[in-house]
Amino acid sequence: MTNWTIKDGKSIFTGGKDSYKAAVQTAESCPSFSEDCEDELFCSDAVSCYNCRYRRWTTESFECIKRRQK
Amino acid sequence: MKLFVCIDDTDNYDSIGTGELLENMMGEAAIKGLAKIGFTVRYQLYIHDDIPYTSHNSSMCCTAEVKDREVFTGFCEDYLENNSAEGSDPGLCILTDASEIDYTSLIEFGKSAQSEVLTKEAACKMAEKFGKDIHLSEHGGTGSGIIGALAGAALRAGKEEGRIKGKLQPLSGKTDWTASEFASVFGVQRFVDEEGNEITDNISIRFVHPTKLLYSKGLITSVIINEGGLLMLKPKIKKNREKR
Ligand code: SF4
Repeated sequence: MTNWTIKDGKSIFTGGKDSYKAAVQTAESCPSFSEDCEDELFCSDAVSCYNCRYRRWTTESFECIKRRQK
Repeated sequence: MKLFVCIDDTDNYDSIGTGELLENMMGEAAIKGLAKIGFTVRYQLYIHDDIPYTSHNSSMCCTAEVKDREVFTGFCEDYLENNSAEGSDPGLCILTDASEIDYTSLIEFGKSAQSEVLTKEAACKMAEKFGKDIHLSEHGGTGSGIIGALAGAALRAGKEEGRIKGKLQPLSGKTDWTASEFASVFGVQRFVDEEGNEITDNISIRFVHPTKLLYSKGLITSVIINEGGLLMLKPKIKKNREKR
């Protein structure tokens, strides 16, 4: 199952801001995960897209910048 | 002279964040004897596709007390020129902190930056109204960081609610505190519950997870949560409550 939808060339996470399990699973298999600065950490999962410096928040969810560059 | 100092859009995805850059800049200013510094507040600005923020569109503002405003401003400008990340659009705002200034229109600008897309032109026009009390400057890229920088300084001047940068760590060997004890050790001036209701009783609280402080109603504020009947300092980050 994919967790991404493409909108205007951007990869948007389909789980919104409340799909912790999917965000963890995605980040655990992502070689680009890098923890954001302490003040911007979002949840208690150490490795999660929600805590990654390459997620760019949108109104409903986030875009993965690394996937945009691919 | 007291000042609000705010910077924005100084980072890229691989650099240090704007908050860290601000702290480094102010730390160096303090070491050079140019300023005495206060704490930093993070303000969340509007999340919108048309706004070119890096990751979270937040703005960071701290306070400073300086003897020579011109020298301090020159130092900040040089620091941003030399230390902002490649590809960023840095902006700097230095605003006088004085009770005789009427910040009303500026605060409205700051609040609107939290709910709508604003332009650089609107920021410059607003800054002009405050003459010598505002320094607003661009330091590379598109310079669009002046919008967030002005908004952050405005929100701080208006004592608007934001998160204080950094966190408090529990002390080893002490988990149980009274509110008054906690307040005097950590400099907290106010306690609220999760709904924002003020707690004035000298309650017993547990401090076992790192916690963040809020700047709210112009006071350093701790948020208390009720976990199965136990009153605790709110953990720093949201707990993952989704079932696995
Ligand atoms: S946000 Fe993107 S780069 Fe970061 S962990 Fe998720 S998929 Fe990887």
